[in-house]
Amino acid sequence: MRKWKTVSVSAVVAVAALGLAGCGSSNGPAASADPAAQPDFSGSISILTAFAGKPMDSYFQDVIAAYKAEHPGVTINLSQETDDNAVKDKEKVLIASQSLPDIYFSYAGNWGQNFAENGLAADLSAQIGPGTSWGQTFGPGSLSAFKYDGKYYGVPLYNDAKFMGYNKAIFQKLGLEAPTSFEGLINDCSTIKAAGYTPIAFGNKDGWPGLHYLQQLFAYNVPRATLDADLNPKTATWTDPGYVTAMSQFTELVTKCTGDGTNSNGVTYTTAQQQQQSGQAAMYYQELIEFDAVNKDGSQLNKDGMGIFQLPAAANAAGDPRTLEAAPEGYMINGKSKNAALALDFMKFATSAKNASVLSAPPYGQPSAVIGAVTASTSSAAVAAGTEAVNKAPSTLVWLDMASVPSVGDAWVSASEGLVSGDLRPNAALKAVQAASEKAK
Amino acid sequence: MTSAPASVRPAVAGSARAALVRPDRTAAPSWRNIIWLIPALAVLAVFVYWPLLQNVAFSFLKWNIYSGSQSFVGADNYVELASDPVFLKALANNTWYAAISIVCQVFGALLLAAIVESVRSERMRRAFRSIYFIPSAISLTVAGLLFYFIYQPQSGLLNAFLANLGLGQYAQAWLGHENTSIFAVAAMSQWQGFGYSVLLFSVALQRIPVELYEAAAIDGIGPVRQFFSISMPLVREMTGLMMIVTVSGAFQVFNEVMVMTSGGPNNSSQVLGTWLYHAGFVTNNFGYASAIGVAVFLITLALAALQLWVSRKRRVEW
Amino acid sequence: MVTLSNAGRWLRAALVWTILAALVIAVLYPLAWMISNGFKTNAELFGNPFALPASWGWGNFAAAWQQGVGSFVLTSVSLTVLATVLTEAISAWAAFGLTRVRIPLNRGFTVLILAGLMLAPTVALVPLVKMFQSLGLYNTFLGLLALYTAFRIPFTVFLMRAYMLDLPREVDEAAAIDGASKTVTFWRIILPMSRPIIITTVVLNVLTNWNEYLFAMVFTSGTGLQTLPVGLADLMSKNGTQYPLVFAGMVMAALPMVILFFFCQRYFVRGLAGGVGK
Repeated sequence: MRKWKTVSVSAVVAVAALGLAGCGSSNGPAASADPAAQPDFSGSISILTAFAGKPMDSYFQDVIAAYKAEHPGVTINLSQETDDNAVKDKEKVLIASQSLPDIYFSYAGNWGQNFAENGLAADLSAQIGPGTSWGQTFGPGSLSAFKYDGKYYGVPLYNDAKFMGYNKAIFQKLGLEAPTSFEGLINDCSTIKAAGYTPIAFGNKDGWPGLHYLQQLFAYNVPRATLDADLNPKTATWTDPGYVTAMSQFTELVTKCTGDGTNSNGVTYTTAQQQQQSGQAAMYYQELIEFDAVNKDGSQLNKDGMGIFQLPAAANAAGDPRTLEAAPEGYMINGKSKNAALALDFMKFATSAKNASVLSAPPYGQPSAVIGAVTASTSSAAVAAGTEAVNKAPSTLVWLDMASVPSVGDAWVSASEGLVSGDLRPNAALKAVQAASEKAK
Repeated sequence: MTSAPASVRPAVAGSARAALVRPDRTAAPSWRNIIWLIPALAVLAVFVYWPLLQNVAFSFLKWNIYSGSQSFVGADNYVELASDPVFLKALANNTWYAAISIVCQVFGALLLAAIVESVRSERMRRAFRSIYFIPSAISLTVAGLLFYFIYQPQSGLLNAFLANLGLGQYAQAWLGHENTSIFAVAAMSQWQGFGYSVLLFSVALQRIPVELYEAAAIDGIGPVRQFFSISMPLVREMTGLMMIVTVSGAFQVFNEVMVMTSGGPNNSSQVLGTWLYHAGFVTNNFGYASAIGVAVFLITLALAALQLWVSRKRRVEW
Repeated sequence: MVTLSNAGRWLRAALVWTILAALVIAVLYPLAWMISNGFKTNAELFGNPFALPASWGWGNFAAAWQQGVGSFVLTSVSLTVLATVLTEAISAWAAFGLTRVRIPLNRGFTVLILAGLMLAPTVALVPLVKMFQSLGLYNTFLGLLALYTAFRIPFTVFLMRAYMLDLPREVDEAAAIDGASKTVTFWRIILPMSRPIIITTVVLNVLTNWNEYLFAMVFTSGTGLQTLPVGLADLMSKNGTQYPLVFAGMVMAALPMVILFFFCQRYFVRGLAGGVGK
C-alpha cells in the first residue's frame, strides 16, 4: 500500500517536472549543417577562438581580413578567449544556452567527443577525412585525434605537447646537461637552487598546470592499457599503484624544485612564464604553443637561449617512458550551422599552406598541423625541435582533464591543487577520483 | 508621529499593521487597483518566480547539456547532495562568511561609526566617512583583483609587509592553501564593505537626540556605557536592516570567490553560488545544480524567516 | 563627555585616533599601491612591492583603454543607471499600491512580492539560461537589463513600503478632497515626500548592479556587451604576463564611481539621513 503511494507520488512529480521543464528539447528539429553545399559568399559566420591576448589575437584578425578581401560580401563575427579556463568556461555557457557559434575551438579527447556525439559538430569525413584532398595536407595523427566513432569532426589547427623548457646559459654556467632521468632532474634542482635561481617556475592557480605533470607521470608509471581502461568510467578502477608513485614524484618535484613550493596554488601560470622569461627560473614546464610567448625577442631567456627536453621518467618506471603528453587543438563546425559550407571554406583558407606557415612562425609559434608548415628556417628553433619530437614520439597521450569525462577531470584538478598545497595525500586523492569515476558510470 | 517620520519597520510588524490600517479609508477594495501592482508582479513572475518553479522541476531531472535531453531521476540529485562533502564545505564557508561579515560590517561598523561620531570636528568626521567609503565605490572585481595581487606569495604586499615586521615565518600563499583561502577572500570583502556600513550607522547615530547623551553625561555615565545603553538600542532598526543586507549578501557571495580563487584550491573556497555554477557549467550536471539551487532557496528562506522573527521585538520609543 | 581624569581622556583620545588613522592607512595604502602599479614595468612589479615606479608614463593606461576598458565602463554605467531607474519606478509604483490604495488580498500580494527578498540569483540560474535561449535574450543588453531590474525589486519594495506606511494618511485625503486622482497623488505628493527612501534605495541598487558578476558572466558572450566586472576578469586572463596593464585597467575602472560618490556625497548622506531606520 505504502509502496503504491510512493510510486504514484513520484509519477506525479515526474509528470510535473517534465512538464515544467518543457519535456525534452523545446527547440524542435534543428536545421542540420550541410558542409558539402556551395558556400554562400554573402552570408555571415561567427567564430570563437582560443587566441585571445597578445600576440595571438592578431592571427585570426589577419586571416579574416585576408578572407574578406577575397570575398567582400562575407560577414564574420569573431570572439576570442584565452586557451585556458576562460575558453572552457565560455564554451560551457554557450553549450548550455545552445548558442555555439558556426566555428568553435575544441580540444581533442572527451571535450571534442561531447560535441561529436550530441550533434553539435558537423561530420566532416567527406571533406577532411584521410584520402580527401584537404585531409591529405594534415598530419594523420592530428586528424585522427578528432575522430569519434569512425567519423572525422575536427579541423586540427596546431599540435601541442608538454616539454620542460630550460635556460641554456644557466645550465651551462652550472655545468648541467638536460637530465635524462627523474632522479637526475631532482638532483639538478638542488644544484640550481644553491646557485640562487628558481629551479622550476610553477604556478598552479587553476589546477591544470599540475594536472599536466600528473598525466605525463602517469604515462611513465602506469601501463598504457590500464590507463586507457581507467579513463573510461565504465571500465575504470583507478587502483594501479603507479598512480600513487606518480603523485609522490609530483609532490617531490613541487617541494624540491619549484620556487613557491606548497604556495604554488597562489600563483598563476602566467607568473611562472614571467619567471622563466626574466631569467629568474632555470626551467618551466610548458606547452609547445607557449614557447614563442615565453622565449620572446629581447627577453633575458631569449638572450640566454632556450632548450627543451621531455620530462624524464624515473629509472624503474612501470609504464612507457617514451610516451609524450601531446594533443592537437582544433576547430569544429557547428552541426546546426546554416552556413556550414561557408564556415568550412573559411577554415580551408585558415589552414592553407601560407597561413599555416605564418601560424607556425614567431610571434605566434603555434606549430601547424599542416604537413611541412614548420621548418627550421621559418619557425623558432625550440618550436621546430618540439614539433620534431612530437612527430617522432612512438605514442602520445591527451591531457588528463580532456581525456577524462568532466567530473573525473574535475576531481583530478582538485587533486592537483590538494597535492601541491600538501593538504591532500596521494592515497586520498586517488579515493576522491575513484568516487567521481564511480558516479560517472 | 512627527511629520517626516523615517523608520523602516520590520516587515512582519509592517504587514500586521497593513491589515489594521486600511490603506484608503474611503473606498472599497477594487480589482481595478491591481494596476499598481501589475508591473512588479509581471516582472517578478517572468524572471524570478517562474524560473524558481522550473528550478524545482529541473532538480528531479538528469540532463545532458550538449543534447538537451532530460530524464526523470526522482530524488537522486538530493540524495547525492546530502552526501556531497563539497556542498557541506560550501555551506560552512557561507556561514563563516556571514559570521565574519556580521562581526565586521554590523557590530564593528557600528562601533567604528560611534568612534567617528565622537570626533569633534565636523570636517574630520566627513573626511573619515568618505575615505572609509572609497572601497565600496570601487567595483568588487577591482577589489578582488587588487587583493589577489596583495596575497601573491612572492611579490605580494601582504607577505612583504609581514617580512618587514619580522613576521616572515607567517608569510604564505593566502589564497593557495585550503585552510586560509576562504578567509582571505572574506577579509577582502570586509575591507571592501565596512565603510558603507559605517556611513549608514553614522547617519543613524546622528539622528539620536543629543540631549540623551548630555543627560547621561550629567549622571556621570562614561562614553563606553553611553554607547551600550544609548547608541546601540537606538540604532536597533538600522542594525536589523544591516543584518538582513549582510546575511543575504553573505549567502549570495559569488563574484569575490570567482575572481580570486574560482573556488579552489581543492574546492576549499567554494561557496553555494560557485558550487552551483561549478556543478552546472564545469561538470555538466544541470539537474544537480538545480538541486543545489533549491537547497540555497530553502536555506535563505529559513534565514529570512528567522530574521523577521527576531526583528519583531518592539521598537524603542522616546 | 564626562571627564574622569585628564590622563584617562588623553589615553582614550590617543586610542580613538590610532584606530581611525590605522584604518585610513589600511584603506588608502592598497589603493595607492594599485595606482602606482599602473605606472610600473613588469620587472618592477615583480620586484620590491614597496618601491615606487621609476617613471610615471601613461603607456599602460593607454594600452588598457585600447583593450576596451572604456566600453566596459560605458556598458556598466548604462546598465546600472537604466536598471536602477526601472527598479525604482516599478517598486515605487508597487509600494504605493500596497500602502495607499485598496487592493483585494493586499496581504497576500505583499507577501508575494516580499518573498523574493532573500532569493539568491543563483537559484534561478539554470532555468534562466534555458529561458533566455528560447526567448532570444541571450547575449542581449535587454536581457541583462531585465534581470538586473527584476532581482532588485523585492528589496526595494520592502524598504519603500515600510517608509510609505509611515507617511501621514491626511495628505492623501486632502488631495482626494481637492479632486486629485490616485495617480496625481502618487506623482505630486507621495513621490516627492519619499525622496529620502528613494535616495537610499538608489544607492543600494547602484552598488549592487555595479558589482553584479554572475548574470553578466553567464548571459553575455564577450562581444561588446561585457560589463566592467566581466571585462576586467577577461583583461586579467588576456594579459597574463602584463600585470601593470591590468592595474591600469583597474584604476580606470574604479575612478568613475569614486568620482561620482565624491560629487554626490553631500546629497547622498542627507538622503540617507532621512531614509533609513534609526
